[in-house]
Amino acid sequence: MSEERTKILEMLQQGKVTVEEAEKLLAALASPEEAKSATPKTDCKYLRVIVEPGPRSEDQDRVNIRVPMKLIRAGLKFAAFVPKHAHASINQALHEKGIEMDFAQITQQDIEDIVSQLSDLTVEVEGKEKVRICCE
Amino acid sequence: MIPMLMRLKVSRNPNRYGVLLPVFLVWILLFALMIVLLPFVLIAALLTWRSGQGKWLLLTYPLLISVLFHLSGLHIEVENREQNILIAFL
Repeated sequence: MSEERTKILEMLQQGKVTVEEAEKLLAALASPEEAKSATPKTDCKYLRVIVEPGPRSEDQDRVNIRVPMKLIRAGLKFAAFVPKHAHASINQALHEKGIEMDFAQITQQDIEDIVSQLSDLTVEVEGKEKVRICCE
Repeated sequence: MIPMLMRLKVSRNPNRYGVLLPVFLVWILLFALMIVLLPFVLIAALLTWRSGQGKWLLLTYPLLISVLFHLSGLHIEVENREQNILIAFL
């Protein structure tokens, strides 16, 4: 274990830094090889959304959408065009949905991080309808 | 690669239609329109530069082109009891 890591762990033990702060510091210290291995795989080309009728569903609607990840990245850049005076309305709408987030604080890097993490995403919801979101 | 064709399939009982639309013609028209509008966009960007909107106005061109170039592979299929619609960019 390197000296810096030991110091960070000592600071954590002494309560000088929180667990989150220590985690960030350790991540910053990580070697390029470690950082590389920690990066998610980026071989995901498409985001697939499939909606199928459930066993108890009366509707027989089916939706099958395949969106290229590059299109998602390009489309999200348009978020920068949202006027500043609309941020308050967006934050209010998010708050009503129970999401405490400041839209103005989202940076391009955050969006890039979210999209890159989508490669590990698989969502399956089964209720009235079966919804499956995954990467391909 | 920018999509050259758009596949549109509509099945509405008992009829079925399927067409391959040459969307590259739309892109040609769109790019021509963008070139025609470019001087006006540049003037508008210069006029609104101080308010900070000029920068975003200039960015519309590369962003729009980026979206168009990545449309390839987009596949949307909606189906219900009566009809089935498929839109795919090839």
